[in-house]
Amino acid sequence: MATSLHSNQISAGQEHAPGGSQNPVLVTKDSYEELEEDLSLDVDQSRPRHASGVIAEIVESRQHSEVDSNQNNAAVDYPATDQQVKGITADTNHLSLGDGQLTDESEVFVEEEEQRLRSGSVLQTVEKTKPAVVEEDIHSAAWKKHKKHIFILSEAGKPIYSRYGNEDKLVTLMGVIQALMSFVQDDKDSLRSVVAGGHLIVFLLRQPLMLVAASSTGESQQQLFLQLRYMYNQILSVLTHTQLNRIFEQRRNYDLRRLLSGTERFLNSLADLMDSDPCFLLTAVRGLPLDNTVRDVIGQSMQSAKVKDLVFAILIADGQLVTLVHMKKYILHPADLHLVINLLKASTSFETSDSWVPLCLPNFDSSGYLYSHISYLDDSPACLLLMTVDQMAFKEMENCKQKILEKLKKHNCLAAIKDSVKRGSYTCQEVGISELRHFLYKNKSTAQFTAPSWGAPYSDPAEQERLFSLYRFVHQKVHNPARPLKILFYVGSHESALGWITSGFELYAVFSPLTTKQVAILAVNKILKWIKKEEERLFILNPPEY
Amino acid sequence: MSGSRVDLKVVLLGKEAGGKTSLVERYLHDRFHPNVPYQNTIGAAFGAKKVEVGGINVTMGIWDTAGSERYEAMSRIYYRSARAAIVCFDLTDDTSFDRAKFWVDELLKNEPDCKIYLTGTKYDLIEEEKRPRKVEETKVEEYADEIHCLVYETSSKTGQNIKELFYKIAQDYVEDPKNREPEVDEGIIDSSQPNTKPDKCSC
Ligand SMILES: Nc1nc2c(ncn2[C@@H]2O[C@H](COP(=O)(O)OP(=O)(O)OP(=O)(O)O)[C@@H](O)[C@H]2O)c(=O)[nH]1
Ligand SMILES: [Mg+2]
Repeated sequence: MATSLHSNQISAGQEHAPGGSQNPVLVTKDSYEELEEDLSLDVDQSRPRHASGVIAEIVESRQHSEVDSNQNNAAVDYPATDQQVKGITADTNHLSLGDGQLTDESEVFVEEEEQRLRSGSVLQTVEKTKPAVVEEDIHSAAWKKHKKHIFILSEAGKPIYSRYGNEDKLVTLMGVIQALMSFVQDDKDSLRSVVAGGHLIVFLLRQPLMLVAASSTGESQQQLFLQLRYMYNQILSVLTHTQLNRIFEQRRNYDLRRLLSGTERFLNSLADLMDSDPCFLLTAVRGLPLDNTVRDVIGQSMQSAKVKDLVFAILIADGQLVTLVHMKKYILHPADLHLVINLLKASTSFETSDSWVPLCLPNFDSSGYLYSHISYLDDSPACLLLMTVDQMAFKEMENCKQKILEKLKKHNCLAAIKDSVKRGSYTCQEVGISELRHFLYKNKSTAQFTAPSWGAPYSDPAEQERLFSLYRFVHQKVHNPARPLKILFYVGSHESALGWITSGFELYAVFSPLTTKQVAILAVNKILKWIKKEEERLFILNPPEY
Repeated sequence: MSGSRVDLKVVLLGKEAGGKTSLVERYLHDRFHPNVPYQNTIGAAFGAKKVEVGGINVTMGIWDTAGSERYEAMSRIYYRSARAAIVCFDLTDDTSFDRAKFWVDELLKNEPDCKIYLTGTKYDLIEEEKRPRKVEETKVEEYADEIHCLVYETSSKTGQNIKELFYKIAQDYVEDPKNREPEVDEGIIDSSQPNTKPDKCSC
C-alpha cells in the first residue's frame, strides 16, 4: 500500500542544493519534460523538432568578426584573470540545507516489494552473459531470452540495426513492425507501445526512421523512449539530420547500412552503456573527482589556449568530465556529451594518434558537423576534444592542443588526473553512514551527478545489474507523469531505497534491507551534508568561458 | 612530433578495411595486431615522422583517412595540398581496386602536384595463407603505366615493403627540384595573430 505521511512542508531551494552553480556548463532541462515536448510534436507538426542553424550562426558571426579584426588589425584575447575565477568560487561556499531538509514528518510514499513484483518490474533473473560476439540465430532460445531488444528500420521497412543477431534475418519482423506503425499512423495516431508476452514494446517514429525497443526489464515507456532517442541521436551524430533526410528523399528504399558502416559498434556500445551507466537515466554527467585548484588550473589552461572558431573544448577521463570550456553563447547538452563519451568508450583508435572527426551533436545543431580534434594527452587517460566549425582548422587545433598540453604538464595536472582515475570514485564507507549501501545524486542546476564506486555488496556485476534495475524502478516511480511523487520509500527483501526529487536535485539512496524510513531520512540528510562538503571536488562549478 | 613543422603531407586513400590504418601503424609504431577486431577509422587520423634522406631531414605529416563512404564528401580536406598519396587496395578484394581508381581520378583532377603510389595491401594473405589473389599484377602494372605512378605490394603483418614505400616518398620529394626552396614556416600558426591567410591548408 502506498501510505502518505503529512508534513508541515518541504521544499529544497535550487540554489542551496549541493553541487549547484549559477553558470552551468550543460543544458539543464529535465529530460522527461523534454521528452513530453518532443512527443507532443508528433501531433503538432508546425514546430521544428530538431535543433538547427547554430553552426551557420557561428560561421556567420565569424565572418563579421573577421572584418572587424581586419579593420582594427588587432588580435582578440579572452583570458580571465585569477581574481575573476576566485571571485566566482567564493560565492558558492555558503551552505544552507534548511530548505532542503527532509524530516520524519515529510510526505513520503512507501512501496513494498510485493507491489513491484506484481507490476513485473523486479528483475528476477539476471542476464550474466555479455552480448555474444558470434552472430546469433534469431530462432534460438538465447536470442529470445535477451532482456532488451532494439531495432531500427527505415520507413520503407528496410532493416538498419538490431542489437542482437543479424538484422538481415529479421526482415519478416521488421516488415510486421513497419506495417503496424504505418497502420496506426494513417489513423493520425501514432503507435506508442504495446504489452505482449511479458514485454513492453515501444515504438518511436522519427521520419525517415522507425525505432523499436522490446524489453522485459520492467522499465517504463518513458525510459525506453529516452533510450530510443539516444539511439536515434547516435545515428544523427554520424550523418546529420539534414543528410539523413536528403538520402531518403532521393531514395525511399535506400539501404542505410551502407552509409552507417562501422556505426553498429557505437550503437551496441551505447545500448550496453544505457543498461549499466546511470548517466543516461539521470541525463547528467559525472565529474572526475579532482581538487578544485587543479581543476581551475586545467580550465584556465584550456581557456588561455583559445583559438578562433573553437566552440567547445572538453577534457574527459575514463568517461568522466574533467572540465569543459565553451563559447559564451553556446552550451552543451548532456545528451550530446554522452554521445561523445560513448564514442571514446567504443573506440581505441583515438589512443594512438590525433584524429580529426566530423561530429554532429543533435541537441546543439542537427543540421551540421562540428569538426573535432581528438587526442589523448601524453598517453594519459585524459582525452581532449577541441570542436570547431571550421573544417580546415586541424592545424590550428593541433597547435592549441600543444599549448594546453604544455601547460597541463607544467602544472602536473595530467598526473593528478591519472591518480584520480586510478583511485576511482569514493567508497560508500567514506560517506560514513552505516546503513547506506549506495546512492546517486544529481544536481539539477548543473546536470551533473555523483555516486560512490560499486563497493560490497555490489562488487559482482550481477548484483550491480540488480541494483541498477532498482534505481530504474524508483526513478520511474518518482517521475511518473500520471502520479508524480516527490519522495518514495521502497521496502524490498534485498534492500530499502529512498528516492527524493526537489527543484534542485534528485537523490536515490539504497540501504540495508531492514532500514526503517526514519533512519533512511536521517541518512539522506547526512548524505546531502557530505556532498555539500565535497562539492568542489565532485562537481564542475566554475567552468571558464571563451 | 606534432607541433613541429611539417614539410611533406602524405595522405592514404582507399576502400574501407583496405588496410590503411594497419599500414600507418606498422610504419609509425612498427606493430600489427592480428587479433584485435577491425575498427574502421572515423574521420581521419594524423601522425608525423621525421626521415633523413641524403643528409636532409624531412618531416612527414601522414593522414590516414576513413574509407567509409560517408566521409567521401569531406575527403578533399584531407588530401588537399598533399604532395604524396598512397592509394591502397586489398590484393584479395577486387572491388577495392575499383575504389582505388576512383581515388586516382579524384587526385588527378584536383591535386595535380600530388604524386601517387598505388599500393596493394595484405600481401601475406596470398603468400602465407594462400588466399587467391583477386587483383592481377599485370592489370595493376598496366594501369600504373597509364597514370605514371609507382606500384608497391605491402604487408602490414610482416612489414614487407612499408619502410621502402615511405622512404621512396621522402626521397622523391627531396629530389624533386620544385621542393628545393626552403618553405616558409607553414607548420606553425602563431595564434596570437589573426589568421588572415585566405588559403589555409590542414597540415
Ligand atoms: N593479414 C593481414 N591483415 C591485414 C593487413 N592489413 C590490414 N589487415 C586487416 O584488415 C582489416 C582492415 O584493416 P585497416 O587497416 O583497419 O583498414 P582501413 O583501410 O584503415 O579501413 P577504414 O579505416 O575503414 O578505411 C583489419 O582487420 C586488419 O587487421 C595485412 O597486411 N595483412
Ligand atoms: Mg582505417
